Parts: sequence; C-alpha cells; structure tokens
Amino acid sequence: MIQPQRTVLDNDMAVLYQPMPANPFVAFHGCLWAGTASEDKRGAADMTARLLLGGTKSKKADKLAEETEKLGATLEFRNAEEAVHFGGRCPRKTAPKVFGIVVDCLSNPAFPPSETERTRGEVLDEIRIDMDETARRAAKELMESLYPNHLYGRDPRGEASDVKRIKRSDLVSHHKGHYGPQGMILTMSGDVDREFVEKQIAPALSKFDGDGGKPKLAVPSSSRRSVKVAAMPHKSQVDIALGLRAIPRNHRDYYSLSMVNLLFGQIGLYGRLGRNLRDTQGLAYYSFSALDPRLVAGHWAIVAGVNPENLQKAIDGMRMEIERLHKEPLTEQEITNGKDNQVGSLKVMLERNAEMAGEMFRMEYFGLGLDYLKRFPDIVRGLTPDQIHEAAEKYIRLEDCSLAVAGPVKKDRQISL
Amino acid sequence: MATVTKLDNGLKIILKHIPEATAVSVWVGYRIGSRNERPGMTGSTHWVEHMLFKGGGKLKKGDVDTLVSRLGGKYNAFTDTDFTAYFETVPADAIDTALFIEAERMRNAAFDEKEFQAERTVVISEREGAENMPEFLAEEELWSNAFHIHPYHWLPIGWKQDLQRLDRDTMYRHYLRYYAPNNAAMIVVGNFDRAGVMDKIRDKFGGFKPEQPPEPMTLVEPPQMGERRAVIRKPGSVDHIFAGWHIPEFAHEDTARLAVMSAVLAGWRGFNPFAYAGWRPRSNRLYKALVEAKLATDVICKADVKVDPGLLVAHATVKMGVPVEKVEEVLLKEMDRIKKNPPTKAELEVAKTQIHAWSGFENDGVTYQGMMTAFFEMAVGFEGYDRFMAAVDRVSAKDVQEVARKYVNEESRTVVHFLAQEVKP
Repeated sequence: MIQPQRTVLDNDMAVLYQPMPANPFVAFHGCLWAGTASEDKRGAADMTARLLLGGTKSKKADKLAEETEKLGATLEFRNAEEAVHFGGRCPRKTAPKVFGIVVDCLSNPAFPPSETERTRGEVLDEIRIDMDETARRAAKELMESLYPNHLYGRDPRGEASDVKRIKRSDLVSHHKGHYGPQGMILTMSGDVDREFVEKQIAPALSKFDGDGGKPKLAVPSSSRRSVKVAAMPHKSQVDIALGLRAIPRNHRDYYSLSMVNLLFGQIGLYGRLGRNLRDTQGLAYYSFSALDPRLVAGHWAIVAGVNPENLQKAIDGMRMEIERLHKEPLTEQEITNGKDNQVGSLKVMLERNAEMAGEMFRMEYFGLGLDYLKRFPDIVRGLTPDQIHEAAEKYIRLEDCSLAVAGPVKKDRQISL
Repeated sequence: MATVTKLDNGLKIILKHIPEATAVSVWVGYRIGSRNERPGMTGSTHWVEHMLFKGGGKLKKGDVDTLVSRLGGKYNAFTDTDFTAYFETVPADAIDTALFIEAERMRNAAFDEKEFQAERTVVISEREGAENMPEFLAEEELWSNAFHIHPYHWLPIGWKQDLQRLDRDTMYRHYLRYYAPNNAAMIVVGNFDRAGVMDKIRDKFGGFKPEQPPEPMTLVEPPQMGERRAVIRKPGSVDHIFAGWHIPEFAHEDTARLAVMSAVLAGWRGFNPFAYAGWRPRSNRLYKALVEAKLATDVICKADVKVDPGLLVAHATVKMGVPVEKVEEVLLKEMDRIKKNPPTKAELEVAKTQIHAWSGFENDGVTYQGMMTAFFEMAVGFEGYDRFMAAVDRVSAKDVQEVARKYVNEESRTVVHFLAQEVKP
C-alpha cells in the first residue's frame, strides 16, 4: 500500500516522498505561497514566477538552462491564483544539484532587464493567443461570470494592460515580500528513499530562506447567472462552457459531489453527458464535466466543442442531462460502478512518478493527511445513495448555471439555456 | 527484459514483467495507418478506430467503457500515419478484462450502420476542433506540400470532404482486412502471472485466422526538386512558420544522428508526446537565436521519423510585431549554421544527456512503457529502442554536421507561413 513519508525541514518546508521502484528517476512537484493572491500589483506574481528561470545573481538565464539540461533535468515554474507551482524530473544522481538550482532560482532571481522585457512580450503574446482559442476564451468568460471581482475569476497573468505597466521594482518587491519557505510544499516520487531525502536533498532545500507564508484568501461573493457569446467568426467549431459555483475541496459534501461529477460527465467516455452528446447524438468529439474545488470556493463546469449548427442542440442536451439528474437520479448500479472506479483507480491512476507526486501534492495542499490514500476506499464505499442524490439536488441546479460560448456565432445570437 | 512469442496465426506477443507494478497495461498495435489509405478514403483508419469502441461480438455498445471504468482503469486508442494502437491499463489482477476486450475488438466489431452515421459528426467535430488551431492548419499544409505522391500527403484525421462521404461498407472491409492477428502485435507490461499469461492469450487470440497482410508500400515520394512554399492567411492572433526537410525512414542509420541534431538545435522532448508535460528546453541554438533574441516566443525542431521517409520539422511561433520574413531568415540561417559549425563538446553532451534522461521520463509507468514498446514495434521492431539509444551514444559532432549537410537543404525544403489576419468582430 502506498504510504508517503513526510518530513518538515527547519525552514518550515514540508517534504513528502514515495518510492516507486519500477520508475527509476525522480519526479517532483512543489509550491510556495507567492501566487496571484499574494500580489500587490496585478500581473507581478506571474512575471516573477516566469523570471525565476531568467537568471540568478550568480548565473545568467542561458547558464541556468545549460546546467539544468546537462543534469538531464526538466524544471518549470508556473504561477496560479493561490500559489506558485514548480515541477520537473531528473535522474536520482543529479537530484541534489537540481534542487540546488531550484533553491537558487527561488532565492536569488536577478530579473535582468533584457529577460524581463522578453518575458513581458511572451506573456502579452500568450494572452493574445488564448483570446483566439475558443476553449480558453469560453472558459475565461465563464470564470469571470462565476467569480465576479474575485481572484478566481481573473486571469492570473493579469490583463494585457497590467502586464505592460509592471516595472522591475514590482517584481523585486513581490519576490522580497512573498518568496519564503513558510508552508512550502515539495513532493517527490520514484527513485527516492528516506536516506536520500534527508542526506542528499534536504541540505539544499534547507538553505532556502525569505519571507513568505499563506495569504488570506477572501471567500468570493455569490455569482450572478449570465449568458455570454464571444463571436469568433473565423473559427470552425464553437466551444461551450456551462457552469456554476460549487464547493471548496475541504467541504463535507466534496466526496458526494465528486461522485455526482464522475457519473455525470467523467467516467468512461464522459459519463451520462458523453453518452448523450457524443455517443447518441454524435454532436461532439469532447463533452465532459469537471469539478474544480479550491481552497476557499470551487466550481463545476461542462465543456464541449461542437459545430455551430449544433450549438443549441448541444446546450439542450446539457440542460436535459442536468434536469435528468433530478428526475432520474443516479441509480444504484451507476453509483456502484462509480465507487468501483474510484477504489480501483488507486492501483492504476498512480502508476507514474508524475501522477504520484501530483497526488501527494494535493494531499498536503488540502491537508488530507498522510493516510488519505489508505482511507480513500472507505470514504468512497461509505457514501450513501442519499448523500449523492442530495449533493446533485443541492449543487447541480440549472437555475444557477452560467453559460459562455466562443466560436463562429454571431454576438447577438439568441441562445436559450 | 522482454520475452517474445509468436502465435501460429502470426500474432506477436511481447511481455515485459514488472513485479513491483500494481497495474498491467495491455496494448495491441495494428500495422495500419493513414499511410495505407488512398485518396477518397482519407481518415478511414482513424474512423475505424472510433468504431472499435462501439461493441460487437460479446461486447455490447458501451461495454468497453463500463468494464474498464469499473476497475478504475485507463483506456484509449491512437491512430498514426503508420499504425493504430489500443490499450487498457487495469489493476494487475484484472488482465482478463483487457485481453477479453482486445480479442473482441480484433475480429468481432459490429460496425452498426446507425452507429457509423452517428460517429461521422463526431469525427468531423474532432477535425473542426483541430481546424480552430493555426498550428494544425499549417502542419497539414506542410505535409501536403512536402508529399505529392506518398500518403503522408494527408494527416491521419483525413480531409473533411472524405469524412463527409465515406460509407460504412468500405470501412468495414478495411477493418476485416487489417485487424487480423498477423498484422498486429500485443504488448503486455506490468505485473501479471508469468506462468499463466500466455495460456490466456492463446485461449483468446489463438483461434483467429490470419488475413492477407497490407500491400507493400509502392508509393515512393520522388526527390523534391526545389523549395516549396505555401501561405495561409486567416484571422488569428500571431504568425507561425513551419519548415520541413525530407529525411529517411526510421530504420535508417541516420535516425539517431538526426535526433541528436534536432536536440542540439531545439532540445529533446522525447518520442512520447504525452510525456513532455509543458517543459521547454532553453539550452539550444534555436531558442537562443529566436526566443532569447525576442523574435519568436517558442520554437520546436523535431525529426518526425516514420516507417517511410518523413520530415525534419521546425516550427516557430512568431513574436507579435516581428516580420515573419525576419524570423524565417534567422531560423533557416541557424539550421544552416550547423553545417559549418558542428556542435561543441558541451552541446553534444547536453543533447545526449537529455535523450538518455528522457528514456526514463517517457517510460514512466506501465502505460507509457506499453506505448513506447508499441510505438517502436510498429516502426522498427521494439528492440529498436535499445538500438536507438546505443546509436545516440555513438553520434559524433561530425556525424551531426554530415546529416545536416545531407538533409537540411533548400531543394528539399518546404516552408509554410500562417499569417494571422486581423480578427474582424
């Protein structure tokens, strides 16, 4: 049975690890509390995270890249709403040096003007590219509707106008104020063991110092139902995003709602929704639902990509399946299948180092406990049909849904939800 | 270590036992891809793949889904230019389910007319989703311009006009002919009962009769006589440049040299497209010349090696405001430079270290190992992976210089520009 080990370093960094002898390299995933939630100036967190690979006080960007790649390693830093994430892979023998580089990047970024300008251009282009991608555009519009005036509803990169205004001093200030090891998480999987972590990895990580810590996240106010159309006449397909506000990860109804989501639009070829939209009606190559629970709130959404002629038909299909959830609640057989799927998946979904590192990360991030994977089958088996039906009834309500579509449709097209 | 057995009907079985694994991954690869299609029926191989999830024999529609999902397993399929592959990864004690599904899939698919018609719009939807991406349009244009004779002229998804017209019977004949044991290889990776697994496989697959194998490839692309260029003008966000040069088939001795050359030029991201996980190599010539120089925001160079001669493909995402011609000039200059300035010792070391490290990353877990084994088996034989890794070690700076001189030439080059036009609301 998988039982991760956990140790907390003197600088308050939590390190979790799980040996996976069949996969002889090291995969890692970590975070620290310097994401968009911590920024004083919009866009500063994202640019800072990107520039961690832009050179340190002792190494220029090209030298950093060369050293990392010479060690056979991959390393990326990525900003998100709540925290800055980092991850990568490397052979065991080079891991101590790789974590030395990670700590150097986190501790000593130089924010050289040339790299800063290059990164600014890259972010601006990326925002522009995303605005031209139907799925991302629909998702962005939906998130703005679900979380008005809240961190979760904004682009963590900031808007283009924010990115243009950021100065190097903003980045220095964001780094100084928020890059520290307090509450930081690092998970490792693969060719790792206690001695390796304690003697070879911990010394490098313990050198990381600085001010930081978990920001206080405001609970978002309630959302208002909306229907939005982003007209993109030059595209072939329309992307639909339909969703509503749900619950944070640590909510008591999480497991019931997660089961509803699994059976509604995930299991197999996208659950009930996929059977309707893809299998029976042949409307969409992809059409699935996702539950995205975060620290202080969460949302549930359906997405699909369809031919513009089938737009209303697809939305009607989504509506029908949501209504059906209440008229024809999930059956005992569906629930049994869902429970079997969740319990069985422990043996299959954690077969890769990267998957294991990611799962341990979520365990620590949401405070689920080291015995979470051991308890998980009992949690799932213990769910009653009533709890699952109540979660569907309480949270998946058509009247709470917002809708966003992006693609070759006219802006004034009438869409009924 | 893998063990190999061949059944009397021609089905090749490759077993990789990993006792520490909690799961087992069963892959079946068929030597049938879009290269076996002909004009008018493009996309049919991929469509057949979709149909093989819709039941037949002892499987009712939806059974594949239900059987694997109940176990918490993973399943999927992929259609490539050269092969089609299916897999299930399930808990180690549930291998029977995976073998049962694959046996029914091999010979008993239903191809119900109603299901066939329902899938038409799904396949077209898949294509239309791809059409939303400039990179797909440009890549399609690149291959269709670089190959005039050979079926690499089209991508596995096929032309939309063909997808609108294809009929069920053509597809069913295609299935019966090519989904036969003598045209397939089964790969089993993970924790399984070593003593009993072959009996199970013989029991399920041993009774299938072989079919006539695919005709040998007779369509040979003639040498390109000069640069070919194409331009796509379409509303969009940023410009893209794709450039391709003809390279030999996977089995050719230059493959490892081309791999090292592409790693020196733009870093290595492995063969397994699912393993790269958003990582961007930065210690390479094209990144320095284009991204660091603020001319492009991303650049990739990959030897797309196939059963038949393929393409070395370079792709740059042009930075806003930079003329596409400028990016092309620098890209091509940098590609040419390697002929005069072979990789330094340090560059060669980074390239080889990356390729070796990636052999671990892209074999992470039983599913990826199954995929990599299937991929190599279909291309050059699964032992080809070890041969490739050994050949990489032998590549010298001079070898890289030589393959650059041999293949990176103007007369065999095809260039596609995607020129983003202003988006009109």
